[in-house]
Amino acid sequence: MKRALPSALSALPAALPAWAITAAALTVLVIVNGLLQPGFFDGTVLQSNLTTFLPLVLVAIGQTYVVLAGDIDLSVGAVAALVNVVTVTVIAATGDGPDAILAGLAAGLAVALACGLVNGLLIGVVGLQPMVATFGTAILFSALALRILPQAGLPVPDAYWQTYGGAVLGLPTVLLILLLAIGFVALLARRPFQTWLKAVGGNRGGAFQSGLDLRRIRLSAYLISALFAGFAALCLTGETASGDPLLGQSLGLGSVSAVALGGTLLSGGVGGAAGSILGALLLGMIGNVIFFAGLPFEYQTLVQGLIVLAALAGGVLVARRR
Amino acid sequence: MTGTPETPALPMPAPTPLGPAIEARDIVKRFGAVQALGNGRLTVGRGEIHALLGANGCGKSTLSKIIAGTHAATAGSLLIEGRPVRFATPREAEAAGIALFYQELSLIPPLSVAANIFLGREPRTRAGFIDRTRLRAETEALIALFGDTAGPGLTPDALVADLTPGQRQIVEILKVLSKSPRIVIMDEATAALDARQVAVFFDILRARRAAGVSTVFISHRLDEVFALCDRVTVMRNGETVADLCIADTDQDSVVRLMIGDVRKAGRRTRADRPAAAPLLQADRVGGGRLRDITLAVAPGEILGLGGLQGQGQSALLRGLFGADPLTAGRLRLDGQPVRIRAPADAVARGIAYVSGDRVADAVLAGRSIFENLAAAVLVRERRWRVGAGTLAPRLAGVAASLKTKYAGLDDAIGTLSGGNQQKVFIARWLATGPRLLLLDDPTKGIDLGAKADLFALIRQLADSGVAIILYSSEEAELLDQSDRILVFNGGAVVTELSGPTLDSFHLTRAAYGDAA
Repeated sequence: MKRALPSALSALPAALPAWAITAAALTVLVIVNGLLQPGFFDGTVLQSNLTTFLPLVLVAIGQTYVVLAGDIDLSVGAVAALVNVVTVTVIAATGDGPDAILAGLAAGLAVALACGLVNGLLIGVVGLQPMVATFGTAILFSALALRILPQAGLPVPDAYWQTYGGAVLGLPTVLLILLLAIGFVALLARRPFQTWLKAVGGNRGGAFQSGLDLRRIRLSAYLISALFAGFAALCLTGETASGDPLLGQSLGLGSVSAVALGGTLLSGGVGGAAGSILGALLLGMIGNVIFFAGLPFEYQTLVQGLIVLAALAGGVLVARRR
Repeated sequence: MTGTPETPALPMPAPTPLGPAIEARDIVKRFGAVQALGNGRLTVGRGEIHALLGANGCGKSTLSKIIAGTHAATAGSLLIEGRPVRFATPREAEAAGIALFYQELSLIPPLSVAANIFLGREPRTRAGFIDRTRLRAETEALIALFGDTAGPGLTPDALVADLTPGQRQIVEILKVLSKSPRIVIMDEATAALDARQVAVFFDILRARRAAGVSTVFISHRLDEVFALCDRVTVMRNGETVADLCIADTDQDSVVRLMIGDVRKAGRRTRADRPAAAPLLQADRVGGGRLRDITLAVAPGEILGLGGLQGQGQSALLRGLFGADPLTAGRLRLDGQPVRIRAPADAVARGIAYVSGDRVADAVLAGRSIFENLAAAVLVRERRWRVGAGTLAPRLAGVAASLKTKYAGLDDAIGTLSGGNQQKVFIARWLATGPRLLLLDDPTKGIDLGAKADLFALIRQLADSGVAIILYSSEEAELLDQSDRILVFNGGAVVTELSGPTLDSFHLTRAAYGDAA
């Protein structure tokens, strides 16, 4: 059943990718920000901005794979908090040398994978509703984080945050991490796995009849999502240089917004992580521009909300055009 | 049935020379309390194209899904190339060389044609990435099988969502063929194809037969079956009733086997009344897949909609009710032109719609029986407060006239059986005092006693002057209740049955595309 559409939208070329509007908006914001903030294009300013944006970028990448399969992961913020407190606690318990830092990183990522496994088993194997299940596990993971570290504190060794804020192999560490993440996105996009995810999200019955192992595919997506939430937590730890059981609370819905802005359909089957990176950067830039335009901070949430709504409405209209 | 040699205890790696391609014996399948298959038998020889025929719901699709591993059999034995098997998933059946064409299509709309055909079996480079060059080349080679009949736009990179229904069906066929199966099950694989595409498709199947591939061919087009197949198995009511050589039989005999004894319908005796002016007239209406449907129904008349499932009967009823609005043609009510764009328009004009799909279309889950009963009345009478004090006894009266069994109006709807729930939904609409009642397979999944009550009521309504349009997937019901039957095929009315032609022989023959 076709419906009448706003003529402006029908006039867009049919081949226009869904993330094109986000890319255009991002470009505009970069220019505006450049005008408002004279030093915006300086290396140090770019690096500091990237440091601020990177956690959401990483979480949004992981979230994309879950959403592609038609699921959702609302627990990523809680996973990040749990990974953060586990990492700082393990480092504090094993001294402050490089070995202790590596042990902390490894423990943090292991905890992230364990969280992903719990989500994946509950949803992929037991068959719980993704939204409710990850909302529940988020509470569980947050409670564990508070149990491990009731109050913010436990500074990490200087080497940790200095490395994160500095450079590795001649590149700023944050840029290197972003490049690695982009590399991962590009590699996965060429693997059959991403097609399977889209198949599971696009037509679950058809994917089953085609012989795909739905349980394994959905579980893997939750593992990837939790792992990227873990990476984000390690970055946040480098930024704040301490533990905080309440960290990352905006990452859950923030990442879903970034994924939607990046052109991935929340119903699954269409999209990709490259768009989510743009979406996450766009959300970050909105905050920046509001700050440098001298608007009160409260507007940031308001504007973010409006932009996410507009992007979702646009996605629905584009989908109806088909 | 031929005797089967002792089956080897260990699975053998290569096809054994022993035994037929498929031998299904005494297969039983129950879905909950419903028995879909009571005694499914099928023997398909190597390199044979074997037709599997039967009326709606006779169990042929269920049997083929058991062979392809989509369903697990409740009981019975299945031998593939002489080896006993029990598939838990489609993948296991695929590993045994079996591929099923899915009637409801297993395609993923947002993925490309190539990604769909090779889903889960993508050619890979040594590094484990998708080998796009090979993927595209192999897809192109497959599409080339259909040559220029594939139509424009069917390319490896096209999205399945952008294809026509016929092209999607071709993609589904290519997906089956790409698995190079030794046994193929084609369940209504020609439904959306045009004549040229069908001809090409049959040539492909004959070429595969020459290469030793066995095909189970399910189609509602009997002329296709007789043009293509070597043997035919006929099923009726979940049981296999015949296994014949095509050369030894003809279409009329097969139709008789499909329906059993040709029954004269125990028609309702219609009160003699002067021919009333039609209440509703549809003039060449269409929309979606409906084409040029013209009909009229008079007060006191029960008009039946017949044909195979999914030929547009439900679409028409939903269209008349405004649930999936009609886009072409004209409607008249009492001779006056009307437009029905949404169910609210229909309700305001005294039209009621009862769907057999209770979960999707009727039930207010978790709410009380009273709320479920009151849903339509509240809309029809534009009440601004519920007024349960007066409404409850009234609704209870309507429900009682249907012999609805319940403990209290405040109980949750879920406490009732399917049949009683359906009575609640019919009572919901009766309470609005409709002039035209649209019944969309209203007895789906309810027991015999409840059916008898429902039909007694439907006849009573007709006698009191309500116009009724009834679609039922059960032929016997349709024949027993209807004054006339319009037979649907592919979204259009192919013939009208009344008087002497109102029997199951003519109905089945018309439904299977053979002009009556």
